[in-house]
Amino acid sequence: MPISAPSIAALLGKISRTPLSVMEVCGTHTVSVFRSGIRSILPPTLRLVSGPGCPVCVTDQGEIEAAISLLDRGAVVAAYGDMFKVPCKGGSLASKRSGGLDARVVTSAMEVLSIAVENPDREVVFLGVGFETTAPATAALVSEAARRGVPNLSVLSFHKRTPPAVELLAADPDLRLSGFLLPGHVCVILGHAPFRFLPEKYGLPGVIAGFEPDQILLGLAEIVRQHEQGAPALRSVYGTAVKKEGNTKALGLLEEVFRHRDAPWRGIGTIPDSGLGLRKAYESFDAEKRFSLSLLPGAPPAGCRCGEVLTGKIIPPECPLFRSACTPLSPVGPCMVSGEGTCGAYFRFYKGDRS
Amino acid sequence: MKDTAITLGHGSGGRQSADLVSHLLESFGKRGIGPEMEDAALLPGGYAMTMDGFTVSPRRFPGGDIGHLCVCGCANDLAVRGASPDFLGISLVLEEGISPEEVSSYMESAASTCAELGMTLAAGDTKVVPSGAVEGMIITGCAFGQIRTPRTLSMSSIREGDALLVTTSVGRHGAAIASARFNLPVEGLLSDCAPLWPALSPLLHLEGLRCMRDCTRGGLGTVLCEWAEASELHFSLDEDSIPVSFQVKSLCDVLGFDPLYMACEGCAALAVAPSDTEETLRILRQSPLCGDAAVIGRVSSAEPKGMVSMRTSIGGERLVDMPWGEILPRIC
Ligand code: SF4
Repeated sequence: MPISAPSIAALLGKISRTPLSVMEVCGTHTVSVFRSGIRSILPPTLRLVSGPGCPVCVTDQGEIEAAISLLDRGAVVAAYGDMFKVPCKGGSLASKRSGGLDARVVTSAMEVLSIAVENPDREVVFLGVGFETTAPATAALVSEAARRGVPNLSVLSFHKRTPPAVELLAADPDLRLSGFLLPGHVCVILGHAPFRFLPEKYGLPGVIAGFEPDQILLGLAEIVRQHEQGAPALRSVYGTAVKKEGNTKALGLLEEVFRHRDAPWRGIGTIPDSGLGLRKAYESFDAEKRFSLSLLPGAPPAGCRCGEVLTGKIIPPECPLFRSACTPLSPVGPCMVSGEGTCGAYFRFYKGDRS
Repeated sequence: MKDTAITLGHGSGGRQSADLVSHLLESFGKRGIGPEMEDAALLPGGYAMTMDGFTVSPRRFPGGDIGHLCVCGCANDLAVRGASPDFLGISLVLEEGISPEEVSSYMESAASTCAELGMTLAAGDTKVVPSGAVEGMIITGCAFGQIRTPRTLSMSSIREGDALLVTTSVGRHGAAIASARFNLPVEGLLSDCAPLWPALSPLLHLEGLRCMRDCTRGGLGTVLCEWAEASELHFSLDEDSIPVSFQVKSLCDVLGFDPLYMACEGCAALAVAPSDTEETLRILRQSPLCGDAAVIGRVSSAEPKGMVSMRTSIGGERLVDMPWGEILPRIC
């Protein structure tokens, strides 16, 4: 019989002695933590810090501006839904769509193939956004478009790799994190190897967990246990879904289509080797090349402290714009736009600052 | 209104919709929140009236179609204010090119729902617009009926200590539409679209019945947030007692939606005095539509006032806020 969340929480309270700060890297974890009210049942010794794992939030201002410029140039721009509301200088995909330009919500990358085939006289661009969970679908789209020779389809790849960002945070002396809760779905693709540096290089626990509240609590219990016993390791509590070697098919597809490159992370800056650009062999599907875009890191909105929020240095209520100038309705920074953004989650679910 | 253009977010039933309506009502010298923002207007002489437009895509969905939806939507707006659905007007705006067979099939399902309710079609209008001016068709219903309760059912009647109920499991209409729109078929997922009058009318004699609302756009979460705000009381919900079907849960998991904010078309939220709660449940459960009816929370004078909080399945606490903007599927 699975152990219930309340009993894991009770267990956590018993074993947790030293104060610990654990980062949940992924936005899906962040939202699940808030939605289930996990913080309110954690022992006082355990602090959860939200990390940079919301794909919308870390997409750079300059990248969104580039996407919008393609709409202005008459292209059909297809993107996942939560990109639509992110504001930048030129508006947002949603406001451009209201203005009559052709921005379309898709739920899978493959849909873009049919859009391109059905509109042979239009340029159709897919915004490749997300981490290792969504990048394989983009890779599959590019590979399929190449196989079928679809000339009017291209991809603007803003895909990002999780491990380099996690390493940056693990090495940050200001953060003093005691361990990482790693996203199960990313590790289903990547396997264990890319995160081994956590225990090996930094002596930190790295625990791969699923997104249900009981799985998150189990992951936290494992981190606490490793700490109390002085035995940091990379472990999965995600069950059989995570194979040590990852999903070799998806990894093969990523390898075939993408190369690593430096990428700008909103509010954090450029992280070496953390981006996925199209390989030379697929150059003709690269929207950056096709439209001669030069991606400059955009300036973050004035006053927005997303960078510090994304690296867990402050919590959103500490940002002076939180809830005053910055709300989900008129977001200043992307952390407020996305359903998985830390500021948005604090806004919707956090009781502490309201009562 | 701060926004410079009207966006789809203004049509999603959440905070932005409320802003838009307030803005539009300014010319009439009316405020946007409070008692004036109920589902149907109570008119002098004991009558109630409501209007509702529908532009659902796809027009035929698992569990119904736009004709059935139009009659249910209008009739339910009357029913939750204690008025019988007596008369209906329908206005059709048709895009040139739509097939007459398709349109009459919606009229047939509208007619059979009217027949079921004893509702009479009293007025109608048709317009045809050039292709591209609307997507397929827009159907607008206007319903008129007689108030059958001696007490005014309204948000302003909600009191501290009241129980909060739902009449059936939540989110099925929104989930069925999303499953059709995003091409994610879920076995056994049907819209809950149905007329509520037969289930709600036997409650009208209960003195403890305070307020009812059908949870359409924006879902149960939006209704309760509006009630909490208008009554300036605190609403506390118990996550485990909110009925959500397995199908709705799984679709919401995939798309990153919250069942609390998914539209319903045959589910009402009720506020009832403690003395009549049991009787309300007993009566509701006699209706074939309301087998899952449940008490899901309480109204109190606790802090924070004007807000909704929830005790989660794992024993945690969190806020329930109104949805903001257009509800879009997430990335991963
Ligand atoms: S509250 Fe708004 S402005 Fe402040 S950090 Fe978050 S997104 Fe940026």
